[in-house]
Amino acid sequence: MINWYNIEKSALITFVGIVLLFSFSTAIVVIAPRHIDPTWTEPTSRYQVQMYEIADPNIYIGNPVNGGYDLQFVYHLKDQFTLLAFEESEFTKIMAPDDLKKYVTAYKDPVLKLTANLNLLRKPEKEMLTKSEELKKQFQAEWIANHPNWKDEKLLIPNFEIYELYKPLESFAFSVGIPETIVNEWVDSNFEIIGSEDTEIKIPYHSEPGVIFVKNPIEYKISYYNYAGGRGWHYDPNGDAIKDLNELVGEKLQFHSRKDLIENGENIYKSEGCWYCHTDQTRTLIQDTVLNGSESFPAPPSSANEYIYQEVSFPGTRRIGPDVSRVGIKQPSRDWHRGHFWSPKTASVGSVMPSFQHFFDTDPRGTSKNNAGIPNYKFEAIYQYLMTKGTRITPPNQAWWLGKDPVNTLEIIEGRRRGQK
Amino acid sequence: MTKYDDGPVKVMLYPAILFMILGMFFGVFIAFNGLVFPDYFAGEYVHFGKVRPVHVNTVLWLWLISANIGLFYFFVPRLCGVSIWNPKLAYSQAFLWWGGLIIGIYSLPAGTNFGWEYAEFPNWVWLIPTKMMVTISFILLAVNVFMTIGMRKNKKLYVSLWYVMGTMVWAIFTWVAGVYAINYVPGGISRVNVSFFYVHNVVGLIFTPMGLAIVYYFLPKISNRPIYSHRLSMIGFWSIAFVYAWIGAHHIIHGPISQWLQTVSIIFSIWLFIPVWTVVTNLFATLKNDWSAYVQNVPIRFLIMGVMFYLLTCIQGPLMAVRNINEITSKTDWVIGHSHISLYATFTFFAIAGIYHVIPIITRKPLWSESLANLHFSLNILGSIPFLAALWVGGFWQGLLWSTWANGNTYAEFHHNLSVLPFINTVSDMHVFWIWRGIGGIIILLANIIFVVNIFNTIILKTEDRDDLKLVSNL
Repeated sequence: MINWYNIEKSALITFVGIVLLFSFSTAIVVIAPRHIDPTWTEPTSRYQVQMYEIADPNIYIGNPVNGGYDLQFVYHLKDQFTLLAFEESEFTKIMAPDDLKKYVTAYKDPVLKLTANLNLLRKPEKEMLTKSEELKKQFQAEWIANHPNWKDEKLLIPNFEIYELYKPLESFAFSVGIPETIVNEWVDSNFEIIGSEDTEIKIPYHSEPGVIFVKNPIEYKISYYNYAGGRGWHYDPNGDAIKDLNELVGEKLQFHSRKDLIENGENIYKSEGCWYCHTDQTRTLIQDTVLNGSESFPAPPSSANEYIYQEVSFPGTRRIGPDVSRVGIKQPSRDWHRGHFWSPKTASVGSVMPSFQHFFDTDPRGTSKNNAGIPNYKFEAIYQYLMTKGTRITPPNQAWWLGKDPVNTLEIIEGRRRGQK
Repeated sequence: MTKYDDGPVKVMLYPAILFMILGMFFGVFIAFNGLVFPDYFAGEYVHFGKVRPVHVNTVLWLWLISANIGLFYFFVPRLCGVSIWNPKLAYSQAFLWWGGLIIGIYSLPAGTNFGWEYAEFPNWVWLIPTKMMVTISFILLAVNVFMTIGMRKNKKLYVSLWYVMGTMVWAIFTWVAGVYAINYVPGGISRVNVSFFYVHNVVGLIFTPMGLAIVYYFLPKISNRPIYSHRLSMIGFWSIAFVYAWIGAHHIIHGPISQWLQTVSIIFSIWLFIPVWTVVTNLFATLKNDWSAYVQNVPIRFLIMGVMFYLLTCIQGPLMAVRNINEITSKTDWVIGHSHISLYATFTFFAIAGIYHVIPIITRKPLWSESLANLHFSLNILGSIPFLAALWVGGFWQGLLWSTWANGNTYAEFHHNLSVLPFINTVSDMHVFWIWRGIGGIIILLANIIFVVNIFNTIILKTEDRDDLKLVSNL
């Protein structure tokens, strides 16, 4: 039996004391900060929110022949969800039926017209083709009229691109994405959303003062072919449209959404132990803002709200390799990362980084001229994860790498230096 | 005289001693394969990022905490004057502990990393709930310890028992916060904050009170002198309880965490001087009038050197938390040096001293070789010096190199410095320090292989094979 009388007062005080002290601090750490400092849980940039919540889940990335060179980007467009812009430029013109004309933003129109009604562009066909040829000649004649001295100035007559705007039958579509874009189309002034009155209720972000949109969508088409090893596919403007999302992510095409790749990349970053040698924070120190900055401009220090979309964050404790918090801007080249993951010691001399050749498959057809392997989904995942670093702090039109300064870094660091002298 | 059941001591201590060698071997492996000859053995399962967590978790959980728990099973009953409350409970605890930890930690190269430092091993490996096994194991240990203390015959609660009881409460709280609660706070910096809270409490509120409980028990015991001041030890205890839980955020000073939180953690870090100086004063003063014990006795040498290193690590700690010193030392090898001095040169030394004292008692045979024990101590010190000095000097040097980018008046000037000194050069400059660290690591590994051989022979060799045998009284 326990002799409870042996538990004297001092032991009781010890026990109650440590429980009280410690549970108090646990409560403070676990609960309090996010109520005291909203930046820990709330985004500061609408661009960041829309990139993570609107763009990433609807951009699909795939790989036709395990080749890696012609990586395919496909937007999943949804009626009454995706914002679209049909914008003419100096040499790109859009033909539209009368009921769709209102969606087209003419060249030099100061206000960008956006719509959530699903429409697409295509190369004119059949009877529209002849009409487009006429239009093209008309534009070229206009151009010659505007440039009377074009021969003396050694100019060429531009080949005007003519597209036809049409309404697809389905309420969704897949459009050709721009390869390897790490920033999306963004507009935060001089735009109007037309043609859908109830959209705002359905899609709250449409009412925000800045929106992500897809510009000039053209339907993504593929065709299949046979080769020795089996049945392959490739992008083909004259091929078949993709029937539905299941086909896109299915066995044959194997596309992954950018959201999945980023999450997967975070898992790879975690399980490969990248975070033991790389930090993911630009500290509020001059050395860090300079290390991560561009030629002419310092990187903004990391702030808490950059991490809110992560399951696990890796601010890190040791820099055996460089900091990764701005790598999306400092080193966006996919080719560079391919070479570097394959053999870091040759890609950057003096590095102690291990090679990650398990991010690559051996060439299944033996046709690759490159002596590096062919990237597999692990590489695409870690690459997409890294490309989120530093690219989503502010909208691209306010970006720090363009010399815009969201947090007055330059002023602070140069001012502080001068003050010291 | 009470008869003590030392079975639980054995099931915790014996495997732990073997895991020390294994953990140190992994450490030497990554010191060479990761940094001296980078990626010599390349591949998905052996690269630095996969082996580093195996090294850290092996020495942390499978060696140090396990050995400390084994020592608890030894001295808690002896301080209470009763045998352990329930040996079967202790065996179940050991079973869950070893099962959960071994499976969890050695699954890491397969890619099961949980992603938070010191808690890397996964919740589940296949159908085995590794983390839950460790959690239950902690609770069983606490129950057993508290029941033993509740049933004690010696009325006075010695300070070691305070630390033991504190450890039991803190360990469970810390573990639950860092392993479970972290999943329920919002993603991002809130989780980082909980993680660093956990990381520092593993060191400050599990390793530190465990280590201090051990040193407070074994130093007076082995030297046969009473503790200098019971009151001083109480001050140390309560200041640890008050201070440690608040300093987690000092791991991310200048980082993306709120400034006021950084300031709080810095202030509490500086307060750490109080517990450290009281503990160190108390322990040195215990030996004050008779240093002959230090010369004659290997465990006492380990304890006193451990206290010296403890003083050193706890001078470093608060200073590293100060913002402008942190600017140089943070993110460099200095930090790695700091974690090794505390977990290796301090708490591992304490545990080794305890094992040297405990093994002859529980096996009822004297130590196989005193001279090997002497050699073990000397080699340990000899290895520690190049090991720790290389990390400190190299780390500080690298920190100074980085700070040269912040030289000049304009951003253009700052950035120009980066073309003069690219980041990669500051990495390759560390190579010579990494070689010295590797050499120190090899010496330490050798020293501890000698230790294991010595202990192994003490346990295994039969009494009739041993003509030097003297009966050890049952303590």
